[in-house]
Amino acid sequence: MSRCRDGIRTVLRRALKVPWRFNRRWWVRRTCVCSVCQVPVLEGKSVQQTVDMLHRQLEQLGAMKQGSFWVDCETYHTTGTASGQPSKLLYVMHNSEAPLSCTALFEGGPCLMADGNFDVLMVKLKSHFQNAKGHKVESRGARYRYCDFLVKLGTVTMNSSARGISVEVEYCACVVPGDCWNLIKEFIQSFLGPNVPELPSVFATKAEGLFVPADAVDTMTQYLELFGKVRKQQVLQGASVR
Amino acid sequence: MEAPPVTVMPVTGGAINMMEYLLQGSVLDQALESLLHRLRGLCDNMEPETFADHEMVHLLKGQQGQPFLLRARHSLSSPTDPWHLRYLGQPEVGDKSRHALVRNCVDVATSQSLPDFLNEMGFRMDHEFVAKGHIFRKGSMKVVVSKLWRVLVPGNTENTEPLSLSYLVELSVLAPAGQDNVSEDMRSFAEQLKPLVHLEKIDPKKHT
Repeated sequence: MSRCRDGIRTVLRRALKVPWRFNRRWWVRRTCVCSVCQVPVLEGKSVQQTVDMLHRQLEQLGAMKQGSFWVDCETYHTTGTASGQPSKLLYVMHNSEAPLSCTALFEGGPCLMADGNFDVLMVKLKSHFQNAKGHKVESRGARYRYCDFLVKLGTVTMNSSARGISVEVEYCACVVPGDCWNLIKEFIQSFLGPNVPELPSVFATKAEGLFVPADAVDTMTQYLELFGKVRKQQVLQGASVR
Repeated sequence: MEAPPVTVMPVTGGAINMMEYLLQGSVLDQALESLLHRLRGLCDNMEPETFADHEMVHLLKGQQGQPFLLRARHSLSSPTDPWHLRYLGQPEVGDKSRHALVRNCVDVATSQSLPDFLNEMGFRMDHEFVAKGHIFRKGSMKVVVSKLWRVLVPGNTENTEPLSLSYLVELSVLAPAGQDNVSEDMRSFAEQLKPLVHLEKIDPKKHT
């Protein structure tokens, strides 16, 4: 399976300088049920030591390493809003699974999938939306495959310092969260032990039996929630996370 | 949907500052067929391409300065296609050595939640119209011949009336900043369309 959801057609189009046509739903390549959770750092260990231990556990399980991944999130806040209106936060996220696309979202609000030029547009909009540079959070790490599961084990960093660990598990053989959640939970348990996450709220709030959307919005929403927790942790704990 | 410009994708490691070079003109409805016939002969050999698009112009007003303007466009003939969000900078007329109007341009392909998202960002719709017409290409040049339709009931693209008795003709090229030589190619192509249509660099400031 191709690692790049943007696909070979985009790459070829660019390489051959073929006039670019708006491709129907170009961001859609693959649909999976996905769970993103934060793993607590083991007592007496650093973030890196805990990540190394999880790597070993995955490899012992028989998972195959398939390159690396990254997910990042930039925060923009509105400037110069009309008096009385609260300042809104706009998040622009990128995912290595779709490197030419980006996801823009408001917390609890509408979400937009766009191509990479949206970042250029945000630069043009700097007089209305200011980039909170210190708030950039990203998760980077290794990507593993184990049968129909895809596991991404990342170190969450903010201002270049490690703040936590993220684990993303995708189950690619089913698109109905309610039907495969127990299976995903069991798989996560096999390498995370008791730290099994609850059913992600993005799925819990939806009617049972509903399909996951094909544009990976659910994944990005979960990462946004996780990054939000990491930011709050920083405020609460200061430097207590090693 | 009207074909987006030829080069809109950012290069790896950063996006290029793209400029749109533009020449505009118009023909009366009666002259449309002869212009299309001429364009079919001059342009690249391709399938005849028509489009019907709905464009909404959104404004974001700040506390000071000029409002920020974005154009959201989607195809009426292929409603499942992605939306097209477009930022256009201030047009520069330049001197006589440059044969086309130049303006900064950012094209973004987006999902269909664009109107809701712009609304959440604080943008408000200023005006809307429907454009129906034909597209031709000649290398990196794009020729759009379209008729603009006024939307009589906001949001209802079925209920429209023509804005005028003529068709808008636009010749445009998207190129990185500083490549003024493309305007020379545009000028020579525009010469070949005379006297059917006179394409000129029209300063929008003079018409406001």
